[in-house]
Amino acid sequence: MKNFLEKLLKIDRRLIFLALAILLVFPIVKPLGLPNLNLGSEVKSLYERIEGLPPRSFVLMSLDYDPATRPELHPQAVAILRHAFRKNLRVGILTLNAGATGLIEEIGERIPKDIAPEKVYGKDYVILPYQPNPVAVMTQMGMDLYQIYDKDRDGSPIRDMEVFKGIKNVKDMQLGICITGTAMLDYWIAYTGDKFKFPMAGGVTAVSQMGYAPYLQTGQLKGLVGGMKGAADYETLINHKEKGTSGIDALSLAHLMVIILIVTANIMMLWLKYL
Amino acid sequence: MTLIKKYIPLAICFLVGLMTLASYYVPNKTSENYLEVMNKWENIVAGFAFLLGLFSLFFSHYNKIRRKVDGWGYSLFVFVGFLVMVVPALMSHGKQMDGTSLTGLGWGYRFMFNALSGTMFSVLAFYIVSTAYRAFRIKSAQAGVLFAAALVLIIGKVPLGQLMWDKMLGWTHLGVTQIVQWLMDVPVVAGRRGIMMGLAVGGIVTALKIIFGIERQYMGKD
Amino acid sequence: MLKTRLNLAVIAVFLAVSSVSAAAPASQKNDLPKPDFAGFEAKDMPYDKGEAVLLTWPAGAADVPGALYQVYAAGADGVWVKADEFPADSRFAADFDLPFWAWKHDSTLHAMQVELPSFFKDFKTGQEYGFKLKYVNGKTSAESAEVKAVAAANMFNLARLNNLVLLVVTIIVFFWTVSHAKRKGLFIRRIAGLDAIDEAIGRATEMGRPIFYSTGIGGMSAIPTIASTSILSEVARKVASYDTQLKVPHFDPIVMTVSKEIVKQAYTEAERPDSYRDDINFFVSQDQFSYAASVDGMIHREKPAACFFIGHFMAESLLLAEVGATTGAIQIAGTEQESQLPFFFTSCDYTLIGEELYAAGAYLSKEPMLLSTLKVQDFGKAFVMFAVGAGSLLLLAGTWFNWQPLLKVVGHIFKAY
Repeated sequence: MKNFLEKLLKIDRRLIFLALAILLVFPIVKPLGLPNLNLGSEVKSLYERIEGLPPRSFVLMSLDYDPATRPELHPQAVAILRHAFRKNLRVGILTLNAGATGLIEEIGERIPKDIAPEKVYGKDYVILPYQPNPVAVMTQMGMDLYQIYDKDRDGSPIRDMEVFKGIKNVKDMQLGICITGTAMLDYWIAYTGDKFKFPMAGGVTAVSQMGYAPYLQTGQLKGLVGGMKGAADYETLINHKEKGTSGIDALSLAHLMVIILIVTANIMMLWLKYL
Repeated sequence: MTLIKKYIPLAICFLVGLMTLASYYVPNKTSENYLEVMNKWENIVAGFAFLLGLFSLFFSHYNKIRRKVDGWGYSLFVFVGFLVMVVPALMSHGKQMDGTSLTGLGWGYRFMFNALSGTMFSVLAFYIVSTAYRAFRIKSAQAGVLFAAALVLIIGKVPLGQLMWDKMLGWTHLGVTQIVQWLMDVPVVAGRRGIMMGLAVGGIVTALKIIFGIERQYMGKD
Repeated sequence: MLKTRLNLAVIAVFLAVSSVSAAAPASQKNDLPKPDFAGFEAKDMPYDKGEAVLLTWPAGAADVPGALYQVYAAGADGVWVKADEFPADSRFAADFDLPFWAWKHDSTLHAMQVELPSFFKDFKTGQEYGFKLKYVNGKTSAESAEVKAVAAANMFNLARLNNLVLLVVTIIVFFWTVSHAKRKGLFIRRIAGLDAIDEAIGRATEMGRPIFYSTGIGGMSAIPTIASTSILSEVARKVASYDTQLKVPHFDPIVMTVSKEIVKQAYTEAERPDSYRDDINFFVSQDQFSYAASVDGMIHREKPAACFFIGHFMAESLLLAEVGATTGAIQIAGTEQESQLPFFFTSCDYTLIGEELYAAGAYLSKEPMLLSTLKVQDFGKAFVMFAVGAGSLLLLAGTWFNWQPLLKVVGHIFKAY
């Protein structure tokens, strides 16, 4: 028995990988349909913030995630965009991450197809090109955004676009949302939110979510969507369930497996130690 | 030679450091223009540095192929991967969409880069589970407290866990989301704030060391 | 006859009452208070870059709910533009988000900041603009005389004086500690991760396997990367003296260029310039997971004896550390990202937490000047602890005894403007 437990404690990690893979495939093939009842308060804060914005307010969305974090963050971006368009807000989309350009293209394709087919590019929303050196961009956006963005991603001049009417810098905008898998949100808060008193909100991966609790408490962040659960919460709030909600089943089972493994390992360790 | 290799770089570092620091307190258009110029120069330097890195990468892998060291076949993929993405990018002038259809670059990005990046990130999930099994052993009281907090958070973050909690511990009238919220708002924030403040102070001192020329590792010592 | 006279009297009384009641509203209309525009002033907005003007006028009995103020501005062409409209019982000097040493929070004075470039496309700093104020309350209205002002750029943002004082004090303490550097040795508590560097390099030398050193995914301007290059210098010097193989894969080309210089210098100082090779430092990729995949592949194939992961890391931290752990390498890690520290803790043998990373350069080199700067870090932390404690007590006292001025002063001193 002792040998068996010792072998189990040092089990080949590939067997654990296999068990997890089987467990994750199952809910994707046959969804469990678990209800998402407890919504995060910080997600509700962002939702209420957008709900309270008057029509034609300008929301700046910085989508700074690359394909690696796409499964967690793309559903957040889509849900927030859907909500913003539903509230008849103007949306400016940009990225400071070179790897996100293709994802921005995907979103650009989806807006006229299913996210908001009635919205007009140039009047209701605009997509700005990728710019390197994030700190420079953020500093410039607080002073005069046309110094850094004079054309959109297709090369059309933006100054006279209806979507930018009355907008010179972030002080003329009503909300900024940075969705990122890196520390870009910290830069947005420091260089734009705090410096120019620009209201900021964020969407981050689940592992980074805890680190932004201080910013939520001080009010430097007006709301935060964390990971796939956050995306699912937001989809529940806007009453439009998509990829975020569908991933919750797999997430639930994976969490359950982690708990079982940790508890089992500790029981075996205690057994070996004391019995 | 010492003047060029040592004193001029130190002087540049000192002056630029002080001017950037001063620009925070001077709300003038001059300091704004100065920051804009510095940012543009940084962009230009980053662009040239990337070229430098690219040459280093190619040179290093070319040498591996030429000398046929162990694993030289993998070095071929560096060149193949580079050409597979850059040639279509040049042909489509950097555009991923041609009207409504994908260009070669767009196809490569959407169906190769997206998939590969997502795969690498998903490997993390497997590693986290195996690491949790291997390393999360309660060998002390502190580890026990850590385990309890981690258990509550793992359970409280997903609907299945919330359902399980309500079924088993619903009689306590204490929701798992309340406990999770308390953990997030109090101990996590306190710990993170402490580390943030230490890091901020350390960052300030390191920056002062560089501005005043005490830390000179970056330019090679005398 | 009597009846006719009676009727006439009733009619006369009725007419008299009607004329009085008709007169009453008119006299009530004439009694509505009007604002005092005698004190209406326009001047340059202080502490800005010269694009705004400050308008002030005294508050008064006319500032009732329902009344409005309208602000008009005109450039050199004399065309008036409506700049703003707001309720008369708002926009007081007391509402401005500026500290008490830079601004008088007067609740009896209206104050409004007008950002001129928003209204005048041809705005130029130093050009004179005219302003006037209009008061509207139902049918009552009043207009001020025109006042002129010039927006000028200011040389110092007085609101940030608290920040400047703290900076100056820090610099003074910094220079004091540096100037006293050589007096006596400074005690630094043991940092296990840094002490283990010798052990790791010795192990690699005995086993004849390489050492991998990753500086993370930060740029050269990131403080953790700078700290990492300090540690790289010490590691490279020891590696050079033991003639062990060192490999430093890089995420950022600029960091690679700097690291090349550092490692070359380290080899020269260890009197082993002939052992130095240019390909010790090599660029991998500027994509996070491409970098992780490449380094993982190298670690898996070459099976290093020691791995150092020191710098700015994000999600790839566990990928790197876990693969290193599977090869049996001794691993030393350090990052400022608290979210990644748990991953390093579980997979690595030694982890540097928080500012242990920043103290590493001084700890390893034992240079008196660098060691003395650690005192500045301690001073900074002591000040922060004192500020948190004292600030909390003062706020508690202010709330308990309802001393609003104390709450205001403490709030302003500890705020960043």
